Amino acid sequence: MGKRKLTMRRKESIYGYIFILPFIVGFFAFTAGPLLFSLAGSFTDYNITSQMDFIGVENYQSLIMEDGLFRTSLWNTIYYVAFSVPLTTLGAIFISSLLNQNVPGIRYFRTLYYLPAVLSGVGVYLLWMQLLEPGTGMVNLLLGWVGIDGPNWLYDPDWTKPSLILMKLWSVGGSMLLYLASMQGVSKHLYEAAEIDGASRGRQFFHITIPMITPVIFFDVVTSTIGGFQIFQEAYIMSGNGEGGPANSLLFYNLYMWNQAFGSFNMGYAMAMSWILFVIVFILTIINLKLAPRWVHYEGEEK
Amino acid sequence: MKKTRLFLISVTISALILSGCAGFQTSNNDEANVNEEGKTVVDFWSFWGSELRRPIIDKIVADFNASQDEIEVKHTYSPWGDIWTKELAAIAAGNPPDVVINDINATALRGKENQAMNLSEFTGGDFSEKFYPELWNATLYEGDSYGIPFNTDTRVLFYNKDAFEEVGLDPEDPPETWAELEEYAAKLDIKNDDEYERLGFYPLWGVGYDVWLLNANGENYFGEDNNTDTVNINTERNVEVLNWLKSWRERIGVDVVNAFQAQIDSQQGNPFFSGDLAMIVQQPTFYQQISEYAEDLNFGVVQLPEYEPGNGHTSWGGGFVAEIPEGSSDPEAAWKFIEYLTDQEVQTYWAVENFDNVANIEGAEAAAQSGDLTEEGQMVYQMAVESMENTLLTPAPVEAPGYYNFINPQVDEFFLGQKTAEEALAQAEADIKNLIEKNQ
Amino acid sequence: MAKTNEETKFSDEQDRLESQSGTNTKIRYWEHRGNRNNMWQILNFVLLAAGSLLVLSPLWWMFATSLKTMGEVMSYPPSFFPESWEWTNYIRAWQAAPFTTYTLNTITITTFVVIGSVVANSFIAYGFAKIPFRGKSIWFAIVLSTMMIPGFVTLIPQYVLFSNLGWVNTYYPLIVPHFFGSAFYIFLLRQFYMTIPTELIEAAKMEGANHFYIWWKIGLPLTKPALATVAIFSFNGAWNDFLGPLLYLNDENLYTLQLGLAVFKGQLSTQWNYLMAGSLLVLLPVILLFFFFQKYFIQGINLSSGGK
Repeated sequence: MGKRKLTMRRKESIYGYIFILPFIVGFFAFTAGPLLFSLAGSFTDYNITSQMDFIGVENYQSLIMEDGLFRTSLWNTIYYVAFSVPLTTLGAIFISSLLNQNVPGIRYFRTLYYLPAVLSGVGVYLLWMQLLEPGTGMVNLLLGWVGIDGPNWLYDPDWTKPSLILMKLWSVGGSMLLYLASMQGVSKHLYEAAEIDGASRGRQFFHITIPMITPVIFFDVVTSTIGGFQIFQEAYIMSGNGEGGPANSLLFYNLYMWNQAFGSFNMGYAMAMSWILFVIVFILTIINLKLAPRWVHYEGEEK
Repeated sequence: MKKTRLFLISVTISALILSGCAGFQTSNNDEANVNEEGKTVVDFWSFWGSELRRPIIDKIVADFNASQDEIEVKHTYSPWGDIWTKELAAIAAGNPPDVVINDINATALRGKENQAMNLSEFTGGDFSEKFYPELWNATLYEGDSYGIPFNTDTRVLFYNKDAFEEVGLDPEDPPETWAELEEYAAKLDIKNDDEYERLGFYPLWGVGYDVWLLNANGENYFGEDNNTDTVNINTERNVEVLNWLKSWRERIGVDVVNAFQAQIDSQQGNPFFSGDLAMIVQQPTFYQQISEYAEDLNFGVVQLPEYEPGNGHTSWGGGFVAEIPEGSSDPEAAWKFIEYLTDQEVQTYWAVENFDNVANIEGAEAAAQSGDLTEEGQMVYQMAVESMENTLLTPAPVEAPGYYNFINPQVDEFFLGQKTAEEALAQAEADIKNLIEKNQ
Repeated sequence: MAKTNEETKFSDEQDRLESQSGTNTKIRYWEHRGNRNNMWQILNFVLLAAGSLLVLSPLWWMFATSLKTMGEVMSYPPSFFPESWEWTNYIRAWQAAPFTTYTLNTITITTFVVIGSVVANSFIAYGFAKIPFRGKSIWFAIVLSTMMIPGFVTLIPQYVLFSNLGWVNTYYPLIVPHFFGSAFYIFLLRQFYMTIPTELIEAAKMEGANHFYIWWKIGLPLTKPALATVAIFSFNGAWNDFLGPLLYLNDENLYTLQLGLAVFKGQLSTQWNYLMAGSLLVLLPVILLFFFFQKYFIQGINLSSGGK
């Protein structure tokens, strides 16, 4: 009996590795090399074209001990992540629960709410720069209609990050899609049973829908945290000449890293930055993974 | 399920057919830089892809190709800004193009880092004398040039002649000094209650605070020779200039400034076109926009005013160079093309067709006389050529790459009222000295 | 055919409910519930309609700009409605660069990327979700880690790698990696596979099915909504990719739509009207694809709820 079980387990292991083999091959072929190179490079004064001498932990040391812009950029990024992740998650769940109903024209609504997520690239950011103009932009125009005197958005250091979060909320349709796909997978029988028990809509939502979509909420929180830390292009384009202004309020971590790597050609320094970020994000992800069993419910999970 | 499978199969088949196209053919002879006719191919990358510029540069390249038996230039457009990331990757991989248009301000740094080729073997004799000295010097690292100046720009003052006449100012006598500038601006203002119907002038539209610092000092932060031994940031005059700039902001009001600023930044709806703003500092190419969107505007143009009489009409500019990336397969052929690009004839052609400032002095002077320009165009171009004499560049010294990342945020904080000018400049100076020390 | 899928389904449901109700009291019960449902639906509809105005208004701005003359774009104050509707902007934008070639190129790349992403990621994710094996958590951590390193620092070494393979100026660097899975999609699909009851898989195994068969016959059909999501996301990603084509394509005949759109944004000025017109044209296929792909979400309900 024992022997048979062992071979079963071994068989499963072999299957397991066959299934993840494409990833392993791809990882060693395309990803592992560049990753190791950047790790090695972080201990050098690598400048891409002419020098790569070992300098020990000097990059790390001067980043953590001396570099004020490093601290500013980390702070800006944490601010952005702390607000944008919860807000976009809640926003996406709310919208997708509205879109998960049978109301007239639902196909059009779904397409419409997804639209902003499709629009990407420079054009969108340029568009939002116009929309957020204090004097003539549409955002303040709309706020004016309801009697609010809109702020100076991208010109006021206190409002630049909220501007980007607002823009992010607009294009929440991407994660909306995930939740929708997940909600569509929730068995109708559950709702029918609840209906017969006389459970209200609200109860159904919090006791059936939410628990059933926790795997995707978990996914969304983890990936948007990782993604949030890597915010770059918005700031690169919307802070004028890509310097992170006004008053460094849009100097995000990756923007500063970019300026170091491709502006001043301090690639070794940038590589050290990237590994510090890696450690931070990795720890946060581990915390997320450890907390997950407390609230993430997998229907198919073995007890 | 059947339908799905049919769909999958048809997609796979069409994919297989698609894979026959060019994007799937690897060239196994990377080093081949010779085409079918046996001509040496010079790969030339530029960011000139717009409707306006593309035909001009293509014509220049075609003319060159027609004149050559041995060389063929292949021009490739790559997006503005991103082109240099692409170039850098190609240099790192050892397979770069042969000629690239790049930013003049980082040329020395790229020379130092072995990204661009040392061109001193080609630039002997009086070659350098063809160009504005300020531009030429910006391309030098340890005395050798790493890129040949192609085009450039400067900043001049545009003013609305009708508005001048209306308030009793002589339209042929624009402001010469900062004091006159202030006086004229106040006269040109039309204010109804809190709303400005017309604004005379605001110094920070079209240019940054640094241009006024440059104008007042007649030199860059790092002295005349752009040497990091001197760092002139926290000086009395700089403090005074910043406070002067802020006084404009306070007089006009932050809300008005922001509203106008947004319009100007967005490159849409410039208030100068509509007469809502009487004077503005801009590049000479601004004339092109005027002629397109505000044909009837009666305007004049003049060099930047002086800090005080006799101080000099110092202006600020930038520009682009043609460089040979390190690792180019045929520098000799690449150089032939660069020589052609920066010669008087091509420079004048570029200048006139684009209404752009060029680096070649004779080329620029010939353009100002060109019959292909309108009278107004000639006037603006002539002023641009005059301003070029007083135009300084602010390339980052190799010991202080990205130094402006330390000044700009401080000055932002000053304008926001979070720091005094002294505090802001003292902090910036300390940070930059720190940066220089780190890079030495 | 006037009714959409869902609407038919919805009224079917109502019919079914009505026919089920036998007694008078029951009929009243369902009417009561129906009223409450209707109220919710009206509220739902109103919220969606109001929200869509907010979502749409920036897009209107884009659309309006795309129809203005450059003169009107430059005028102040900006107009909400174009003075003259310059539909020729769309034609001129299209002709400003060889956009037809770019479209074909983009379709080629996107087709491969979508196929690769859907097949590879669902295969890999099944392994992570449903097969117990030693070292799984370490490998999963590695998968997640690949997301956490900013792309900038691996950009240069990766370019050098592809350059040494002779892949620069081909579509391979843009396509091939997608056939080996990517962290985001592996993680996403894993989450969906995790919700498939283990008993279902055990039962199939009892009947002698191996994991390939189970993946193909149970895993894929049950995760259709998620696969559709991956397809849409990867389509979107490949369609809008800028950095990849920028770096790896040197021949303008191989350029993609996003590189083409860049011609409207120059060093000194932006041709707003053409940029917006071009962006909207490039967007169109993505919208259409999404609109017609939606039914795969709906199919998902039937299968995973075992309703039929």
